[in-house]
Formats: sequence, structure tokens, C-alpha cells
Amino acid sequence: MGAAGSFDPTDALIVDCAVDAISQAGVEACYHCGEALPASPVLSDVEGSVKGFCCEGCLAAAQWIRSSDLGDYYRLRSAAGARVDVELPDLAAWDRDDVLADHAFPVTGGLEITLLTDGMRCAACAWLIDRALQRVDGVLDVGANAVTGRIRIAWDPARVTLSSVLGRLASLGYRPYLASGAVQEREKLAERRRWLLRLGIAGLGAMQTMMLSEALYLDFNHHMALYTRDFFRWVTFLVCTPVVFYSGWPFLLGAWREWRERHLGMDTLVAGSTLLAYLASAVETVRGGAHVWYDAAAMFVFLLLCARMLEQRARRIASSQVDALARARPALALRERPDGTRESVPLTALQTGDIACMAAGEAVPADGVLLDEQAMFEEALLTGESNTVAKTQGAQVFAGTVCRETPARIEITRVGSATRLSQLTRLVEQAQAHRPPLARVADRIGTWFVLALVLASVAVFIGWRLHDPSRAFEVTLSLLVISCPCALSLAVPAALAATHGALARLGVLSLRAEGLDSLARATDVVFDKTGTLTRIDPVVGEVRTFGDMSADVATAIAAVLERDSGHPIAAAFASVPTLRTASGLKVHAGQGLSGRVDGMEWRLGRGPFAAGQNDDGRLWLGDGTSAVACFTLEERMRTDAHATVNALRALSLRIHLASGDGAGAVERLTRQLDIDDSHARQSSEDKLALVRKLQAEGRVVAMVGDGLNDAPVLAGADVSLAMGEGASLAQRAADMVLTAPSLLRIPAAVQLARRTQRIIRQNFAWAVGYNLLALPLAITGQVTPSLAALGMALSSLIVTANALRLMRVSVPESSP
Amino acid sequence: MIILLMLIPLSLMLLAVAIGSFVWAVRKGQFDDMDTPAIDILRDDRPLGAKADGTTDGRGHD
Repeated sequence: MGAAGSFDPTDALIVDCAVDAISQAGVEACYHCGEALPASPVLSDVEGSVKGFCCEGCLAAAQWIRSSDLGDYYRLRSAAGARVDVELPDLAAWDRDDVLADHAFPVTGGLEITLLTDGMRCAACAWLIDRALQRVDGVLDVGANAVTGRIRIAWDPARVTLSSVLGRLASLGYRPYLASGAVQEREKLAERRRWLLRLGIAGLGAMQTMMLSEALYLDFNHHMALYTRDFFRWVTFLVCTPVVFYSGWPFLLGAWREWRERHLGMDTLVAGSTLLAYLASAVETVRGGAHVWYDAAAMFVFLLLCARMLEQRARRIASSQVDALARARPALALRERPDGTRESVPLTALQTGDIACMAAGEAVPADGVLLDEQAMFEEALLTGESNTVAKTQGAQVFAGTVCRETPARIEITRVGSATRLSQLTRLVEQAQAHRPPLARVADRIGTWFVLALVLASVAVFIGWRLHDPSRAFEVTLSLLVISCPCALSLAVPAALAATHGALARLGVLSLRAEGLDSLARATDVVFDKTGTLTRIDPVVGEVRTFGDMSADVATAIAAVLERDSGHPIAAAFASVPTLRTASGLKVHAGQGLSGRVDGMEWRLGRGPFAAGQNDDGRLWLGDGTSAVACFTLEERMRTDAHATVNALRALSLRIHLASGDGAGAVERLTRQLDIDDSHARQSSEDKLALVRKLQAEGRVVAMVGDGLNDAPVLAGADVSLAMGEGASLAQRAADMVLTAPSLLRIPAAVQLARRTQRIIRQNFAWAVGYNLLALPLAITGQVTPSLAALGMALSSLIVTANALRLMRVSVPESSP
Repeated sequence: MIILLMLIPLSLMLLAVAIGSFVWAVRKGQFDDMDTPAIDILRDDRPLGAKADGTTDGRGHD
């Protein structure tokens, strides 16, 4: 894949591979989107060499990008672009007033809307979108974010319509989708900015407060004139006030909430100590007393805010993946009027009982019942099943699934937040907002600790009052600050936040917080076979021919027929090189394909359809009445299955295999992978019984499945991982979903979970040890409040830094 | 020590400027996207010279 310059320009199909590092090695790929080229690619001259494009759409996009002097996109990108459909989607509905009223809001000079898009795969895409849209006349501002997949567009409706702006976007291969509502979008952004402001002001303020306090501390022998000292104190007061009341507002609010719920929590202690230090300092400033403790208050607030920001950041990265679910909903639906005519309406206008129509390839707008005889739906997002599902009249159809092959009509039964898609979205969001039990334990300990601390400080105050009244307040404040269990309360969230970030990079999406804990303790791993250790898309195994045709020719004809079909089986033939072309290709839903190759009419598919044979699960090639060849499709073992099993065994986990398949296939796989324990012909109940039996032996079981038919088993295991192929984010039963198509991520996740557990324990030990050590020192009056704040800060920072070590994780690479 | 009366308000003014510009930056959305702007620097302003070399260079950054 090295130098590209020396190729013959006419040899376009090969040149292309060398130019684009992204395209699959050895496969002729489209210059723009990286997809495999069809039989007759569109050829065009790009920068002096001829490149192949999969369709006119991609060619048009590439030409526009070149002519707009944005060609650097192809150099900067690290992932292939999205395929551009020749038929651009109808965007006129985006200009409707009711859509704009719901989702756009006024800014100076025009309107602003936030959209989601798919296909934005790397920062270069965001860069391209930024540049491309800014050139549209009438666009005021564009912000594209590749991490969250969001695009913010501000435009002047008087000069340009939204649909023409989005048309430019769509012509580059990025289809717009409505985000989950403008209000929430803005709310999220405003919230984030508010936190940043709080942190920034706390940082600057605390820095200045410490500088001024330092001057006062360095005045060991009280040489400073009184008026200078008071001047310093007033200035410090001025700087410290916004830190305590603006930046520290979340803590004050939290303390108020805890107070009203009659519950002692961390916020009470934080707000209490901060306010105590601040108010006492203010009193001392007015009174001209011996000490002030502004620095302790400011530092406290700043450091705690730092920790909270870190935790929130990790959470945001995780939640951006929820948006994949939101993307599945179309912005508009086609509604059938009672007289049979159709109108395009926004999603919110759909009501139960309406009839909605979908063209092939369109997403279903709401849950409903199928009205047509038969239709095919792809439910990948909801179930993880990447094969299309055939549904008959009266069957349930779910919002977010994609209508395939034929158009369909449904009668709507549930809309909006009642749809299954919305429920799943909420479920994932809930899981991410959920606090794991370990964090709750820390909270509980914290509550008791706070109570004990408050009692202790009252006792200490009384004790010192009797012993040395002048130091009573100072010692009590030191005690409160130094023994604040901040490190204790940070120990778990900081580690979890870091881990979630690392997990997201590993391509493991954690849906339930408990999962991580169980994964660390797991002793046994039970694998499902199909779709887990083996791939869903099959390979061609045995080829049998009838008559005088050779197996190679039959395979080549089948490959030609399958190549442009987009059928899941097509993947099995993708590696077959062929120079033939097919014409008149037709897809027969649920049956197979027909088309002309070399002047002959062929049928490929199920037995009865293709060759007049019995339907035996094999793929038949024929002319509709007599068979010419038949193909046995076999499952392929994942290339990284062996390495994964070995890595898991190295982590001293016991491996089990439970499959619904026959003994032969399971036996073969067991031998290949050297698995200790395998079970064939297992129903869902059998698998669950196996898991229960292991659990009864006191073992902690991790179950790895494809998340389709083994939901009860996934739910029954201590921790479950589902393969996320087909974007099955919303596996209710699974604790974790692998979003990367690599099994090697499983041992990596186990290792990470164990490291997290270890680091949480270290953090706990440190926090408790520090508090035990510091308490007696503070009680005996050896520590000044500022020293206490420094000690507390160092302790918290050590805990956070220790947790951040978890972010460093190497992603195991493997061929998919 | 009378100089303090000038220096300290001066430092306070600097602080105010720092906070003001930070608030401005946050409000203008300078911190909203920390990933995309990083790629701008990789773009050449000059028109591409040798195309083959150009593509190879580009890959080196990925």
C-alpha cells in the first residue's frame, strides 16, 4: 500500500487501493466511501489518475470537495466516508413551520438547529462539514462535533432555506436526523458551559486567594502593619466570595437538599466546612482577629470541582453512544389520508390509528401493526439480529427498524415516548445515571463518617475551649477540613469514570454499573457459539454441481448474482473474483434472487424457488425448475477466537461452550479452540441451567452471547456481554455490549475491570489510612487549617491521579 | 509598603481580565469541541504539489 505514483492510470481499480489507506486491502474500493466497487464502477479523473467510484453520488461528492478546494479531507481523514446515495433524500419537509417551531430556536440574525448525523466518523468529517456548510450563502455559523455526531447550524431563513443547507450535507453523504429535541440539546450544552465557568472561576479565584494568603502566612513574626494585613484580608475576602458562592453553588445546593431530606451526605460536610471557614474568616476580618482561612475554603471548592468535572467528562463520552438510538427515528413520516392520498407530516403529528407508509430502506416512524401481506424489516438496532426479519399481516412492527426490499404500510399503535425505541433509549440512559453499589456503600460509609466527624468536632471544640479557648475554633476547623472524607467519596467515582472512558475506547459499552464489579470477580466464562465465537455471515463450504457445469463457474455465477444484492449471504461470496456481469437483477423477498448472467436466466435462493427442490437450508442455483448447483453455507470461526480463549485462560478463567447446534459442529469448535467444557444442543433453558449449576458451585459466571435468543441466560448470569454487531446497543439483558467486532476486547475488559477493582481498593485504603493518621494530629492541634486543606487536597489528588491511571489502556487490535 | 496599594488592585484587575476572557471564551463555545480544530493545523495552505507524495504524507499523520 506504499507509493501510488507509478501505476498506469488506466488501471483504475488497482490504483485506488494504493491511494486510500482506509480501503480494505486487496478489495477494489470506492475512492470516496471505501465500499467495494460494483461490477461497473463510475470512473473519473482525480488529480491526474483515474479513480473508481461506487455510484454517481460518491463521484459528485468527491468532485464538489475537489472543486471547493477541500481535497485535504481525503488526506486528513482516518476513516472512510459515508456512501452517498444518488437519490438524495427529500428534505423539503425540514422547511415546514411546525418542524422548525419544535426544533429550531431564534438567534441573532436567524435560527439555529442542532442535528444528528451518521457517517461522521472522524474529525476530518467534522472539518469537512464545517467548511462545506459555511460556504453556503446565508449560513451564519456551523459547528460539527465528530465525537458526539452533532451538527449545530445557524442560518438566516430569509436568505436560504434549511432544506438547501441540508441538501449540501446530504450530497456529501451525511444524512441529517433530528436530535432528541432542541430544548434538551441546549440544556446539555448550557449545563456543560456552566460547569466550565464554575471550574474556571474557582481555579483563578483559588490561585489568587492562595497567593494573597501566602503573604499573610509568611509574616511569621507579625511585622506586618495592621492596616496592610487588613487590606490583604479584605482583598482576599473579595476574591474568595465568588469562589465560595458561585463555583461552590452545587455543593451548597446539595447540602440544602440533604438537609431537607434529613440525610447527612458529603455535600453537607463540604458546604459546612467551606461556609464555616469562609464565614469565620469574614468575622475575623471584621473583628481584626488573629487568623483567616479563606485559602482553605477556595482550595476546597476548586479541587472538588476538578474531581466532579473529570467524572462528568467520562460520563458524557459514554452517553454520546446513546445517540445512535435517537438517530434511528426519522424526522418525518408519510401519512395516508382516508382517501388514499399521502402527506408528509412531522413525527409529532402522528397519532395512534394513523396509517404510515414506508418506502424500502426507510425507517419506521412509530410502533404499529403491519397492514400488508408481507414485508421485510431489519431490526438490527433493537435486537442485534442483522438479518432481515419477514413479517406477515398483523405482526408488530417497531419504530427504528428499517423497512427492506418492499414498501410497507402500518397502522400505528404507539407513538413518541411510548414506542419500544424510546423505552430502550431511556433504559440505556438510566443505566448510565445509575450509581453502582460500591459507590452507594461509599456514600453510606460517608454518611456515618460525617456524623461521627460532626460529633467529634463538637467534642474537640468543647475540649479545647476548656483547655485553650484561643485555639478552639482553629483546631476544630482543621479537624473538619483535614478529615473531610473527600478522598473517600472520590475513590469510587473517579475510578469508575476513568474506567468507563477506557471501556468506551476499548469498544465495550457498559449498560449496568454492577457489571464491572461482577466481571472483575468472574471465574467462568460461558460462550454461546453462533455469532459469538463464529461469525454471523457464512462462508461457502461444500459446492455440489449437477450436470456438466464446474464448481468454479457455478460459484462465479452465484457471486455475480449476489454481489449487488446487499443480501447478508452476499458476504459469503465477496471473496470470489469474477469478471461476469449480471443484468435484470430482481430480489424476491424471502425467496432469493433472479437475474441474467451470460445470456442465461438464473435463480439463486431457497430450494423450491431456485431449482424446484426441497427447502433444506442450502443455497440452490438453477433456472427455477432444475438444479445446477447447490452450496452449503458454513459458519466461520472468528479469527481472534483462539487468541481470546487463550487470553481468558491466562487470566485463570474457566471457559465453557454452550450452543444450540448439533454435537458435530460443537465438537469441531471445541477441538479447534481447546475448550475444557462444551455442551451441544442446548436450549435457552439448558443454558440457563448450566449457568445456575455453576453459580450453585459458588462460581461467578460471565456469559458471552449474541444477545438474540439467549436473553434469559444473559439475564441469569452474574455478568453478561453481548456482541454488538448490528449496533445492538439496547440489549436489556446484557450488562455490557461489545461495540467493536473483536473478541479480544473481552479479555481486555476483564483485565480493566480487575485493575479498576484493585485501584478502588487502593484508593479506599489510602483515604481511610490518611484520615486515621490525620485525625489525631488535628485533634491535638498540630495542624493549621491551611495545612489541613493542603493535606486534604493532596490526598484527593493522589486518589484521582491513581484512578486516572485506568485511562491508559491499550486497545488490542485484531482483524475482524 | 505603599506600593502594595497599587500593585494589588493591579493584580485584581488582571484577575478580572482573565476571568472576563475566560467567560467570553466559554460563552462563545471555544471549549465545546476539543477535537475538530486540532485537525486544521494539518492542512496545507499551498495548493497540492506532487499528488502521490501528498497522499503518502497525509497518511503519516493518521
